[in-house]
Amino acid sequence: MANVRQISVFMDNKPNQLSGVMQIIKDSGINVRALSLADTKDFGILRIIVNDTDKTVESLKNAGYAVAVTEILAISIPDSPGQLSRVLEILGSDNVNLEYLYAFTGASDKAVSFVIRVDDNEAAAASLTKGGIIQLTENDIAEM
Amino acid sequence: MENYWNQEIECMSREDMKKLQDEHLVAQVKHVYENVKYYRDLMDEKGVKPEDIKGTDDLHKLPFLSKADLRDAYPYGLLAKPLSECVRIQSTSGTTGRRVVAFYTQHDIDLWEDCCARAITAAGGTNEDVCQVCYGYGLFTGGPGLNGGSHKVGCLTLPMSSGNTERQIQFMRDLGSTILCCTPSYAAYIGETLHDMGYTTDDIKLKAGIFGAEPWTEEMRRSIEKSLGIKAYDIYGLTETSGPGVAFECSEQTGMHINEDHFIPEIINPDTGEVLPDGEVGELVFTSITKEAFPLLRYRTRDLCVLSRKKCSCGRTLIKMTKPMGRSDDMMIIRGVNVFPSQIETVLIEQGYSPNYLIEVDRVNNTDTLDINVEMNPEQFSDKVGDIQDKERELAAAIKTMLGINPKVHLVSPKSITRSEGKAVRVIDKRKLHD
Repeated sequence: MANVRQISVFMDNKPNQLSGVMQIIKDSGINVRALSLADTKDFGILRIIVNDTDKTVESLKNAGYAVAVTEILAISIPDSPGQLSRVLEILGSDNVNLEYLYAFTGASDKAVSFVIRVDDNEAAAASLTKGGIIQLTENDIAEM
Repeated sequence: MENYWNQEIECMSREDMKKLQDEHLVAQVKHVYENVKYYRDLMDEKGVKPEDIKGTDDLHKLPFLSKADLRDAYPYGLLAKPLSECVRIQSTSGTTGRRVVAFYTQHDIDLWEDCCARAITAAGGTNEDVCQVCYGYGLFTGGPGLNGGSHKVGCLTLPMSSGNTERQIQFMRDLGSTILCCTPSYAAYIGETLHDMGYTTDDIKLKAGIFGAEPWTEEMRRSIEKSLGIKAYDIYGLTETSGPGVAFECSEQTGMHINEDHFIPEIINPDTGEVLPDGEVGELVFTSITKEAFPLLRYRTRDLCVLSRKKCSCGRTLIKMTKPMGRSDDMMIIRGVNVFPSQIETVLIEQGYSPNYLIEVDRVNNTDTLDINVEMNPEQFSDKVGDIQDKERELAAAIKTMLGINPKVHLVSPKSITRSEGKAVRVIDKRKLHD
């Protein structure tokens, strides 16, 4: 299994929330590899993948944040038209239900990476492997 | 083995207590009529003379005093002794209007501190104890009252006042405090800080807490008891009658014994003023029968509770009052429904949330709105927006079941709601801005 750990942080919908989190991450010398922010009227959820998950979780918890760690899948696909559509077709044909996804860039400018959140990681990973999609490990992302 | 501060009074037979009350009431009514013009005018208006009051059975003939009277008579209008005989004033916070100033002779201070000594003894306090008082000191009665009671009992007294919570915990650890006196919301905060500092209940020696001055729920009691490893006792009082110690809890934890040798309680229908029998819910009214400088007769507390003479396992015969369901000042009327913050607190603790919350009431398009900000429980947090919205909906539904009206629940970051070091602010009513 090539599961990658994603950190989620609960954030109030008011000024300076994201900057507070980023300050802590900066002070801990951690590099953020991927980031997305889900927003609602009341609150936001920051989702990040970093090069040192344990240290980040510890720093944020010590600062009093509500933090959750979730296993997600990360893939790398060529940066050319139709590639994401192909991935979604593969997952769809195996009835994998997608919760959310977001893109991030890696070291190569010829490829683009995605975080994929599904309910059943095992089934989704099998489906991606079968479809020939490259999956990234937490280590791959840390070393990007 | 139950300890009493004044066993003769605390375990006195009903007949003897009534005799004592009759005697003190008759003398008190005479004292007030002769020395307080404001109350004499009220009695004259009602056609009641001091001779008409022959004992407690005639209490209902006397006129009521309310907070409005205290404001009208501010500052000296209800004073019954010359200032030369007074040694102290205490005052209310004045947050709901003009402040109330109460006067004390040395006799009044002594009887008040004596009441607090009964409370500390009922919580297991002796001269072997270290009593940390973190109620505010100053005009507020909390600090001075428990401080005086603690001296009487002979505890080593730590007059900490409120605030600087880490220092509170440092003293608690270094000096081995065994009894904590403060508001329940501050006790909860001290417990939270203790654990945040990496300590457990094994690092402190507390055994009991005496908490009052604001409404709190049974659920909050259990949560404080667990977090500090203590037994938590309720204490009741108000500046108008002297301060904390008017009533106090014993080990049975089923209501507070009223020091009825000093304060005669009545329960009335708040709308009609009619006296209700024991066991019925109504507004608590107090008559001070021993105080000299500021002796209020039939003072309406606006606290709603029930009186009971049911036999108590602690052996005290003093009448008991239930924890007030709320001060009518705290009651909100939202869409025509009576709502107490304590009802919301009960649901929050039951559902595993922290007892730190902020209620905002407003009026939008002529309809009252109820918004409740609740701190996210980090254990329940997930990466999915839908999960958190589900939690908000579940909590709103549980509160709706309790209140009968639909609130909007907003989960906010842990520890983002300001902690209280004294009386907690739980409600912001913005409707007043529109009136």
